[in-house]
Amino acid sequence: MFMAEQAASSRPNTPPPGGLRQFLLSQEGVLLLLGVAMVLLLATRSDKFLTVDNLLNQGRLLAEIGLVALPMTYIIITGGIDLSVGSIFGLCAVVLGFSWQVVGLPLELAIVVTLITGALAGLVNGLFIVRVGVPPLIMTLATLAFYRGLAQGISEARSVTGYPEWFFGMGQGDFLGVPQQLWVLALATLVAGIILGLTTFGRALYAIGNNETAARFSGLPVDRYKLLIYTFSGLMSGVAGYIFVSRVTTTRSDMGSGLELDAIAAVVLGGTSILGGSGSILGTIIGVILIQLLKNGLALTGVTTDATTVVIGVVLIAAILFNTFIQRRRAQ
Amino acid sequence: MATILTLANIHKRFPGVHALRDAQFAMQAGEVHALLGENGAGKSTMIKIISGVYRPDSGEMRLDGQPVRFENPRQAQQRGIATMYQELGMYPELTVAENIFMGHAPRTRLGAVDWRTMEDRALQLLAELNITDLDVRRKVGALNVGNRQRVEIARALSLEARILIMDEPTAALTEADVERLFGIVRLLRRRGVGIIYISHRLQEVFELADRVTVLRDGQYVGTAPVQQVDEPQLISMMVGRTIDNLFPKMPVQPGATVLEVRDLVRLPTTRGVSFQVRAGEIVGIAGLVGSGRSEMAQVIFGVTPAQSGSILMEGRPVQIRHPSEAVQHGIAYVPEDRGLQGLVRAMSIRENASMAVLRRLAGALGFIKRRAEKALADDAIAQLSIRAYSSEQIVNKLSGGNQQKVVVSKWLASQPRLLIMDEPTRGVDVGAKSEIHRLMSQLAAERGLAIVMISSELPEILGMSDRVLVMREGRLVAEFSRAEATQERIAAAMMGEQKAVAR
Repeated sequence: MFMAEQAASSRPNTPPPGGLRQFLLSQEGVLLLLGVAMVLLLATRSDKFLTVDNLLNQGRLLAEIGLVALPMTYIIITGGIDLSVGSIFGLCAVVLGFSWQVVGLPLELAIVVTLITGALAGLVNGLFIVRVGVPPLIMTLATLAFYRGLAQGISEARSVTGYPEWFFGMGQGDFLGVPQQLWVLALATLVAGIILGLTTFGRALYAIGNNETAARFSGLPVDRYKLLIYTFSGLMSGVAGYIFVSRVTTTRSDMGSGLELDAIAAVVLGGTSILGGSGSILGTIIGVILIQLLKNGLALTGVTTDATTVVIGVVLIAAILFNTFIQRRRAQ
Repeated sequence: MATILTLANIHKRFPGVHALRDAQFAMQAGEVHALLGENGAGKSTMIKIISGVYRPDSGEMRLDGQPVRFENPRQAQQRGIATMYQELGMYPELTVAENIFMGHAPRTRLGAVDWRTMEDRALQLLAELNITDLDVRRKVGALNVGNRQRVEIARALSLEARILIMDEPTAALTEADVERLFGIVRLLRRRGVGIIYISHRLQEVFELADRVTVLRDGQYVGTAPVQQVDEPQLISMMVGRTIDNLFPKMPVQPGATVLEVRDLVRLPTTRGVSFQVRAGEIVGIAGLVGSGRSEMAQVIFGVTPAQSGSILMEGRPVQIRHPSEAVQHGIAYVPEDRGLQGLVRAMSIRENASMAVLRRLAGALGFIKRRAEKALADDAIAQLSIRAYSSEQIVNKLSGGNQQKVVVSKWLASQPRLLIMDEPTRGVDVGAKSEIHRLMSQLAAERGLAIVMISSELPEILGMSDRVLVMREGRLVAEFSRAEATQERIAAAMMGEQKAVAR
């Protein structure tokens, strides 16, 4: 025992231990443990909570936030933020309904137009942020209002209903016994995670978030990548908007308000630093699931919605404190 | 003169480091006492103990013969110890007078700040330092570095400091400001203030200091009057070995022209620059701070692309609108500000070393080949003898010299034909400095790399350059061969004296 200690201390600058222990000490690991503990606790409180039906149904509900949280992770890693996702979501829902019912496009084409609208809305954010130099917070705060206003202007407070039966497949149907949108989310998560973790693009996002100037001075295409991620964010908001309309069978201009906060909360809960430079897709998706299960489980055990919001707030604060604690330890 | 401050048998440990072991120091009233040592020698720890930021683990500090122990920097300040840090701790949105009296502003009877007295006393304090050209109502943020430093000295005086600690005060100053600072330091010395002066520039130490104390690896090496030591002696005290050749420049036979620049313009800082660099040649670019040297390098590198003029690489005209295009044409740029422009300090050596060649390390789909990346970083560590436990170490934890080597390795990985080095050894200690110089010399002589070296240190310019260009106000104003170049001629051209330019 004594000998071992001496041997360890005679090597200063020993690298940190890797493997399982490191994972369990990481934000993702702790969240996962917290999640498991929470599920077990809530399961003892309500016998409806830990059932296949309930969990799959919760999966349906979290897909939209999940899809928006993926590009949000990219953006926050670069030190940016996108507050306009909820408004783009609403704008896309409205564009979907009106290009079909009012303009008279075939519904398939209307879906394509919707996704293009989302991507363009994101691109506009990106262009102002990159070319004009407007801070992301300000730019997307402005378009949060602007896109919502656009959605309201187009819809004139009317809702669109009466979609054909096949259209509800994405939002309400199953594939191999699992909700269709969960497959979409799973695939998107996998691709987003691989891109962030293993490619030059992903590496560049971390570099930009840690030190944008140095990334630029290293010849990385900083501006192009930023344009890409804001466009991607708009596109995914469009996809989420389409899934949402398909799930709730109607279109209204106020859809998706507050979505940006849910998505950002999930990303931050997942360990992505709001200052940029660190984070992961795995963490984000755990964050999304955790928040949804917490909401559902508390509701099932009879906690009021107000109290649930308070609990989620407390969990978020705890997660941020923990993240800060880890960063400090790493910095030493 | 009386001894006012003594430190004896001081020990200070941090987790994993024994920062000071049995260190000692003695300071007399009215002396400028230089504190020297490589990065990591314990200078910062020592001044932080003196200024009350750290408490020693053991050992004794005496002020005027009385044992003292400071619990915080405020207590040290109250006993007359003032510190000026490298990163100036000022409030840019407040005025000169407010900054001087921050924390001890004169009050009226009602307890409000007495603005008139404050401004009068600020004027008076500045006048005592022979500073009459500073408006005490101006915001500090609008002042240049030299003036901000003068405000900070005035602040120290307002606290009736008897000991003033200056940590690398000239690092960011222009030559004219350096002269003025020296004047003020001499004034304070005559008034009996003891000054602890830390600088990497040995010339300054010889010009200004009365005595010098050297630390190495946390240990006290010795104290001597400056007249009794010379530069090689000081260096060997600091490094623990003799560095036989401070500027190991190998003779070269320059090859074909690598870079040619014609009438390069990017207003307001680059106003028509033309020059050539040949393979194997080191071209030094001298000039005052603000003469546009770094800005010109960043025009060539595509950070701020040229408005007009042409750049030719190996005879062919090239368009450079972004750093990535410069990299593709074989140009590399080791920037002036390592922490801001050169490195992503929160990332590992591996991730930094590969940053300029990420695309080459990845396949068609953009997946980074981890093994190749790690091999690249390990090679860099071995070749440049970067002191780190592994390529996974976070760059922020390396010393200045080793950080600089990581920047250089990043750019060598891009296999450049032209390497622009902007202040390659700023903030780097003596040992690492000579390693970087040796590396530059080898790269030029053995690999035929064309090197452009921007430096504010004239000895470095003289020691390393085959040819010296002098820049002033956005233009190249003089050129000297290695044989012609002397400190006086270069300095004269930098300042713009007509004789030198007319040559």
